[in-house]
Amino acid sequence: MSDDAPPGPADGVLGRLVTLWALLGGGLLAGIVAVNLWAVIGGAVGIPFAGDFELTEMGTAVAVFTFLPYCQLTRQNVTAEIFTARASPRLVAWLSAVGSALAVVFGAVLLWRMSAGLMDQRSYGYATTILQIPVWWAFVPILISLGMLCLAAIATLRNDIDGGR
Amino acid sequence: QEYSFTLHHFLGPQAPAHSQMLEPWARQVERNSDGRVAIEIFPSMTLGGRPTELIQQARDGVVDLIWTLNGYTPGLFPRTEVFELPTVFENDIPATNLAMRALFDAYLAEEYQGLEVMFLHAHAGQGIQMVDMAARSPSDLERTSLRIPTRTGAWVIEALGAQPVAMPVPELPQALSKGVVDGALIPWEIIPALRIFQQTEYQIEGPNAERLGTSVFQVSMNQSRWDDLPEDIQAAFRDASNEEFLRQIGDVWRQADDTGIRIAVENGNQHLMLTAEEWASFEDAVAPVVERWQDEVSGSDIDGEALVEAARQAIADNATR
Amino acid sequence: MAPVTIGLLGLLALILLIAARLPIGYAMIVVGAGGIAWLNGPGILLNQLKTLAYGQFSIYDLSVVPMFILMGALATRTGLSRDLFRAANAWFGWMRGGTAMASIAACAGFGAVCGSSLATASTMGKVALPELRRFGYSPALATGSIAAGGVLGILIPPSVALVIYAIIVEANIVAMFAAALIPGLISVGMFLVTIAIYVRVFPGSGPVGGAEDRAAFWAATRGVIPTLIVFGIVIGGIYAGLYNPTPAAAIGVFAVLVFGLLRRTLGLRDLRDSVLETAATTGMIYLILLGAELLKIFMSRARVPQAAAEWAVNSGLTPMAVLLILLLALVLLGCLMDSLSMILLVLPFFWPVLSEINGGLYQGAEGSGFGMSTEDLKIWFGILALVVVELGLITPPVGMNVFVISSLARDVPMATTFRGVAPFFGAEIVRVAILLSLPALSLWLPRVIAGG
Ligand code: NA
Ligand code: NA
Repeated sequence: MSDDAPPGPADGVLGRLVTLWALLGGGLLAGIVAVNLWAVIGGAVGIPFAGDFELTEMGTAVAVFTFLPYCQLTRQNVTAEIFTARASPRLVAWLSAVGSALAVVFGAVLLWRMSAGLMDQRSYGYATTILQIPVWWAFVPILISLGMLCLAAIATLRNDIDGGR
Repeated sequence: QEYSFTLHHFLGPQAPAHSQMLEPWARQVERNSDGRVAIEIFPSMTLGGRPTELIQQARDGVVDLIWTLNGYTPGLFPRTEVFELPTVFENDIPATNLAMRALFDAYLAEEYQGLEVMFLHAHAGQGIQMVDMAARSPSDLERTSLRIPTRTGAWVIEALGAQPVAMPVPELPQALSKGVVDGALIPWEIIPALRIFQQTEYQIEGPNAERLGTSVFQVSMNQSRWDDLPEDIQAAFRDASNEEFLRQIGDVWRQADDTGIRIAVENGNQHLMLTAEEWASFEDAVAPVVERWQDEVSGSDIDGEALVEAARQAIADNATR
Repeated sequence: MAPVTIGLLGLLALILLIAARLPIGYAMIVVGAGGIAWLNGPGILLNQLKTLAYGQFSIYDLSVVPMFILMGALATRTGLSRDLFRAANAWFGWMRGGTAMASIAACAGFGAVCGSSLATASTMGKVALPELRRFGYSPALATGSIAAGGVLGILIPPSVALVIYAIIVEANIVAMFAAALIPGLISVGMFLVTIAIYVRVFPGSGPVGGAEDRAAFWAATRGVIPTLIVFGIVIGGIYAGLYNPTPAAAIGVFAVLVFGLLRRTLGLRDLRDSVLETAATTGMIYLILLGAELLKIFMSRARVPQAAAEWAVNSGLTPMAVLLILLLALVLLGCLMDSLSMILLVLPFFWPVLSEINGGLYQGAEGSGFGMSTEDLKIWFGILALVVVELGLITPPVGMNVFVISSLARDVPMATTFRGVAPFFGAEIVRVAILLSLPALSLWLPRVIAGG
């Protein structure tokens, strides 16, 4: 948000894919809104819906993960520029490259670890309280999000390195 | 110290569970080991994650020991769930703690994979806390909405003809005060912390403090951490978790519950202890919950009927009231 | 090396990484993860990462965050926030510095339904900044007053931060909301006074701007009615007990959407942009929350907060002195961290210290350390802590509200915005002093509500 570097390659195939993925996450958020509306209105007219709580938790988590690649590709993660306000554009580009590299590592490590998490969730049979939805279902779109986060971070990294030359 | 352990849990350091159960237990283990063991307790999820993750944290060795509510991971401990059922658990905490110990190896152990259970215990049981209704029979509760305590607690509410509503405990006061729910099934022990006496008028239970089921908690260690301990250190843990201790913590939870109802009454609430006859009508109404549970677990190849019988018998064998 | 030393080195590393322009979320993640691995080995960290992010992102009470951001985004595009500002400008614009005052009032109005300070600052920033610039306000006052106005959202209910505090100390959420109201309004009043003084001390920084004739005045005032209806559904529903904050946020999103469609101000393109804006802001906030969680784990394992709490209890200081030290620590930490991270990181360790000094969880007013029951202390300290924590949003070097405003006004150097915010910071310190000396300001309304 406060990044002065030129926006990353938000168009192109990756850009469109990442944007579409975030929009799908927004659609999911709209679904959560609908579930909560149903819970309130349904509760008032005597057709209550007991699973709103767990659907909200699960849906929000999945939606937030779909936002991460978009956040990275469009460089929305806040930085404090105050100390580097007078630094040369080259230095700034290299510092920014460090940030992108970290995002690549973060995405990759989390992809690896949450894959293991998915296996745990499956083998132990973790499920939600009322609707008994297997928790590992939520991990599938999350892993896709993390893969896309890696790709998005690689794209911003290349962009930074170009700027540092 | 040769052996240091982290003990992670979800309540604050001032909760009786922390100060009167986990602290004394940890110090006892340390004394039993002649100071070779040190247990540091991390309350309020300060080692990260959410309460639902505690079981996984213990299994993965992220922490060494956990205290958690079995109900946070529904479906993981179906056998132990038998002790949470209404009419199986009535009012005897020590007996239930001892019964779970007695049946552990034969009936329960297999569902605690990756965990070495130090002890299982129950709380004082689900009392009926109502905003403005002195419910004396199940028909009074028909069409009311009540907050559910556990998975089977939701079935209890359905069996009473009421509407189960799920919400996190911290939201309960607001939900009660604004009429989002008409009441809740939850022990008296939470009354002081959430100031439930401000939003409710009636605390209702059976003639001998009978309740509609309970919740089971566990203190468990990471399995491989346990397996690597020498026998004398293991003994230090075992001795601290002996039957005498299970009785003592039964009293701790009873006292916490008594404190809760005392504070409610001091603040002008009505403590209704129903007559035997009135209570019998509640027990009749919730009896089908036991059958529902038996049907449900038979899907996972568990002989629910045998388990219910064994649990009732073991509780009766250890009865303290 | 002692764990506490490692913990303090970690905090130093965090400052350096943030200064080196690393995204704040990633800086926190790196220091937190690195610290855990250093203290207890990488195995624990890697195992915890299997579920930590999912657990963090699926916290029910946090689900209001994306919804309130989406609502804010839709409200902006529907024109609701613009109408709010216009009305406020009609009321205040005739005064010197009036348009800046209008921004504060509009921020308070928007904060009354928005749980997030960042969303308040960014939404009102988009609406009010162009106006302030158009009327020739100095860049410092223009950006400073909106960055400051954004912090009002924390104490004007509903507020995500209040909800989280209530959960940590097991306080009654309704009581906390009630307690926050008067201190929140005091802050609005003091900000208005601050502007009035500012424009007299720096003539030319804030001209008379939006004076309108009678017809325009009423038109602008009427323009606020739809906003009041939409927002009334949200807040009114919460106070009438029809629903909790999460469903309220959902209803708010729906109401704004319906209003925008009826008014034909929302097109497909606006919906798409609203979602993408929500994606951008939400992703940023949640990444920081994950970093805060990792940092919290690192600090707990390094026993930094425990050491601080132990020291406070054993120091022999008076209760009031300990309280002042804790608040000062929060102000200093606020320079480095964002407010939610601080609430999540520090309060679980600070609160037990105070409760202990007061005489325990069930202590009544009689014979207590602070001269009030622990229940009251919980509320009073919560309000003080949140006021102090919200200051972190506008203090350098890490001041999230200032970052948000800077991204909206790229021609204004960040240092200028920090300078513009400084007078409001001073006003907030005065407010803390008032709330400290008059606990009744925080405790009166919850008592009235509990009694009636
Ligand atoms: Na607010
Ligand atoms: Na700050």
